[in-house]
Amino acid sequence: MGEALRIAVDTGGTFTDCVAMVDGEMRVVKVRSTPGDPGRAVMEGVGLLGAGAGVELRHGTTVGTNAMLERTGARVAFVTTAGFEDTIAIGRQTRPKLYAWTQPAAVCLVPEELRFGVPERVSAEGEVLQRPSDAELEELVERVRASGAETVAVSLLFAFLNAENEARVVGALEALGLPLSVGHRMLPEFREYERGSTLVVNAYLAPLMQGYLLGLESEVAKKYAGGTVEVMQSSGGIVGAGLAAREPVRTVLSGPAGGVIGAWEMAKAAGFERVIGFDMGGTSTDVFLADAETGGVRRTNESVVAGVPVSVPMLDIHTAGAGGGSLARFDAGGLLWVGPESAGAEPGPICFGRGDLPTVTDANLLLGRLDEEQFMGGGVKLDAERARECFAARRGGLKSVEAFAAGILRVVETQMDRAIRVISVERGHDPRRFALVAFGGGGPLHACAVARALRVPTVMIPAMPGALSAVGILLADAVRDYSRTVMLPGARMGELEAEFAAMEEVGVREFAGKKFEVERTVDVRYVGQGYELNVVHGVDAAERFHLMHEQRYGFANRERGLEIVNVRVRLRVRSEKYEPVREKMRAGDGAEALRREKQVYFDGAWVRARVFDREKLRAGDEFEGPALVAEYTSATVVPPGARLVVDEFRNLVIGVGA
Amino acid sequence: MSGVDAVELAVFQSAMHSIAEEMGAALRRTAISPNIKERQDYSCAVFDAAHRVIAMGDHMPVHLGSMPMSVEAAVSALRLERGDVAILNDPYAGGTHLPDITMVMPVFCEGKDEASFFVAARAHHADVGGMFAGSMGPAREIFQEGLRIPPVKLVRGGVVDEGLMAMVLLNVRTPQEREGDLAAQIGACRVGEQRLLGLVERYGVERLGVLGEELLDYSERLVKAELRMLPSGTYEAEDFLDDDGVTDERIRIAVKISVDAGAMTVDFAGTSRQVAGSVNAVRAITLSACFYVLRCLLGEDAPATAGILRPLTLVTEAGSVVDAWPPAAVAGGNVETSQRMVDTLLRALAKAAPERVPAASAGTMSNLTIGGVDAQTGSVFTYYETTAGGMGASAAGDGLSGVQTHMTNSLNTPVEALEFAYPLRMRRYGYRRGSGGEGMHRGGDGLVKEVEMLCDAEVTLLADRRMVRPYGLEGGAEGAAGRAVLREGDEERELRGKCSARVKRGAVLRLETPGGGGWGR
Repeated sequence: MGEALRIAVDTGGTFTDCVAMVDGEMRVVKVRSTPGDPGRAVMEGVGLLGAGAGVELRHGTTVGTNAMLERTGARVAFVTTAGFEDTIAIGRQTRPKLYAWTQPAAVCLVPEELRFGVPERVSAEGEVLQRPSDAELEELVERVRASGAETVAVSLLFAFLNAENEARVVGALEALGLPLSVGHRMLPEFREYERGSTLVVNAYLAPLMQGYLLGLESEVAKKYAGGTVEVMQSSGGIVGAGLAAREPVRTVLSGPAGGVIGAWEMAKAAGFERVIGFDMGGTSTDVFLADAETGGVRRTNESVVAGVPVSVPMLDIHTAGAGGGSLARFDAGGLLWVGPESAGAEPGPICFGRGDLPTVTDANLLLGRLDEEQFMGGGVKLDAERARECFAARRGGLKSVEAFAAGILRVVETQMDRAIRVISVERGHDPRRFALVAFGGGGPLHACAVARALRVPTVMIPAMPGALSAVGILLADAVRDYSRTVMLPGARMGELEAEFAAMEEVGVREFAGKKFEVERTVDVRYVGQGYELNVVHGVDAAERFHLMHEQRYGFANRERGLEIVNVRVRLRVRSEKYEPVREKMRAGDGAEALRREKQVYFDGAWVRARVFDREKLRAGDEFEGPALVAEYTSATVVPPGARLVVDEFRNLVIGVGA
Repeated sequence: MSGVDAVELAVFQSAMHSIAEEMGAALRRTAISPNIKERQDYSCAVFDAAHRVIAMGDHMPVHLGSMPMSVEAAVSALRLERGDVAILNDPYAGGTHLPDITMVMPVFCEGKDEASFFVAARAHHADVGGMFAGSMGPAREIFQEGLRIPPVKLVRGGVVDEGLMAMVLLNVRTPQEREGDLAAQIGACRVGEQRLLGLVERYGVERLGVLGEELLDYSERLVKAELRMLPSGTYEAEDFLDDDGVTDERIRIAVKISVDAGAMTVDFAGTSRQVAGSVNAVRAITLSACFYVLRCLLGEDAPATAGILRPLTLVTEAGSVVDAWPPAAVAGGNVETSQRMVDTLLRALAKAAPERVPAASAGTMSNLTIGGVDAQTGSVFTYYETTAGGMGASAAGDGLSGVQTHMTNSLNTPVEALEFAYPLRMRRYGYRRGSGGEGMHRGGDGLVKEVEMLCDAEVTLLADRRMVRPYGLEGGAEGAAGRAVLREGDEERELRGKCSARVKRGAVLRLETPGGGGWGR
């Protein structure tokens, strides 16, 4: 040991997962998370994996996500053009719930007393119409100082076209010594609310994330000479800790991004080119789509995190409000609903012993789909009797406990089906051409049913489900994204060289000495449209746009003028290609892994199903449903008519017989 | 329950709702004009063979009750065949006001001669001709408000009628934009058709028919259960529109709600006769206002189907301002009178359920249209937008500030998007502090907006709540009245709520929207 080892560490709620590639083999270590000081568990894991000098630590962190969810970020001052101070609160002037007379206001992280206006203006042509005087800037600085703000977001109108005024404002505010999140530097794109909101999130997280990441970096460097820290961004690319500390909004969904990239990399290594990811957790389910032909996992610039819009590139993860802990109930008209209310950790599902409202997990247990002997290694006793009694008392007009439980699963699976339709069909992709990659506690339980409903032929349950996020972080490419709104007529597609070059110059500095690839893209729309499509830049960019518009929206109009809205550059340092160790395939029927048989409920009847231990399955094992493959917190349900094969990487690959 | 259980019904409801949502997603993504794309002023719905709504996207409440009338009108006027799409906007034949153009498409299953379903997509177009840019001006009869389209086939057997399309486009100010939007609406209908055929393949058309029937019964049960929780009795209220934009006379909306044993009768007797200005509403809009109120009484996730209306008896007097006759002008009926009807319905309902019903919200959509010729590019432009106001307070707490309420929920146009697209410059956009009514719980504040014209332009305002302010409840104070001030050079003048003015380059319009009423002393 002692050579430069690359270690990926993903902080989770209970465990901190650490993986490293040692001699072509993936080594995994799990340590207990230390929520009060997450860095302690990180350092422990790094040590256990045998880090030495020059270690490259790659980190997936939930520090930012948690601060957003728990609203524990810093006190942010928002500085904008005078007269527009409230835009950060007004948002898009809509109410969240259409049919409710009373409702909570949309989230705004900047209270009124922390919104500041600067007397200045730039026009839509980029001309400075009004400059703030030095006295006005001085006054602004004093007011911000007096407000007790800990961090500042600066976002003036049209500064992305002409940064003169904004640069002066920033110059003046630097006297405060606070972290500054600045529009023309970080997000030079139009639409003031979405930009402002993104900068405010950045400012909100900056003090916390700077403390955490820079602290971790110095600790690593102290302990391991030449050691470095990098962080997973929400876009699925890795970035240096220094930059992540300055622009923490880019890492706000760092952890989930690891899982997505992990699932995608495992799927690719196993030979799948197009996948729909399906990650079902306790309170919600994430779905995403990836296609090798179009650059892997889809990304978006229009996300909402903990109720707040964020417009930096993120993996396009769509969330449905139902998971294993979701509650089932009948409404006054007799319709069955599942979620979005959840039993959460407390009281939890009925079968955990405290709750008394039916959940999806209880339904799975009552239908025999969980392995009650070995759930969480036998550490949690599942009380089926208790669940049965509660279900019997609350089953509404349904004729039996089984019918109720099966109904809950059908309703929740319909929601999953719908979530997947949103990311596939609604965006012009036919799910039948994809494989469904399922993970998370509930993914493997429901994958085959969901796949059949969507007519997806194949389900894959990746190997190493417990460390998928860390694996994704280990295998991700290092990526930097730059963008700018230009708003030019389509005819000027060939004149963007200077724009691209300017952005690439910045990147060259940040990726000093590394070999990187450059991806130039443009956001294009028909003149007057309000939404853009991102296409690769080049002489045929316009045609690519028409084709994509046709595919996505069903029509194209080649006579209509185009508008180039944003130019984007993505710099990428590729990670080494993942070549997992292949196990030799040998014909087997899983006999060594077979633990017992039990009754499982499928399509209205109890049938005998075999229960296999996932850990004991070997490459080449193959069997038909009905069967359960049990693992630590989950089980893969293989329905009658489906056929499971363990591939050479120990992924479970199921032909669902759709 | 005709062999339908709670599970199958839940799955069916979800599938139908997702079809309506998917149509909406397609429409929004493919439309051209900011009003549809950015502000999402549209609705999509799915109907059964008997033209009853079985699913509607969560789009614009004002379209709720009126979409079925469009399908009804199209079907009774035309023999719709496979691949046809009907277009219409005439308020007196299935429409609401002229800018709302609706497309209706029948969905035929394999081997069937009759349509098994219908889908409809409606969008608010920024201009449909007429004497004022934006087609929302203070007209005196419908012929001045724009192009009237009776139900006609725009698409026959999958082929667009180019002649009809050309005739429509020739009569509007921004034909290129209209053409794109109309194409997007046709596309949305086709998405709905494809999805429905997919479901038919899976479940069979007969089964879907049974499920549709059951879904309507379910909605009815839901509403009845809710109505039974209200104390039986008759509750009356009145409220007023300031004027019709032509005369200064106040316009009375009066309502009597009778609730008994799970049924509700809403009678608008005593409401003013139709007026010379444009605030007349056709009955479809009145039905939408009732639909909205019933829908709000239900939980958040109850589906919006025709079954919700079954326990309702609506009584209106033909020729009144809530059931207009031709040739009354109606542009404002949809956006202004609809809001006042809701205010009045709620005021009556507050007597039955004071703890549930909020004080009046802004009560006007503050419709602003600016049109002209861009001096720099020489092209014609029409900008249309509604501006939010304050939400009424309630027993539950303060009203929200600067949000769309009741019959609309359309987004604002980002300042930077506005200035890229139009020869306009925003000078200010913020809360109008102190405009919410005082009370134990305060009404929400309205908004202030200042727009500068960068070329000569025609400014048209269609707004209300200038004189008769949003009421408070349980002793709460009224919200502040709305106002609009035009500044040209050193001269400032207050504009009437409903007016149109030609202004010079450099003029600045300041719009202040009303606050919500307060609740409690």
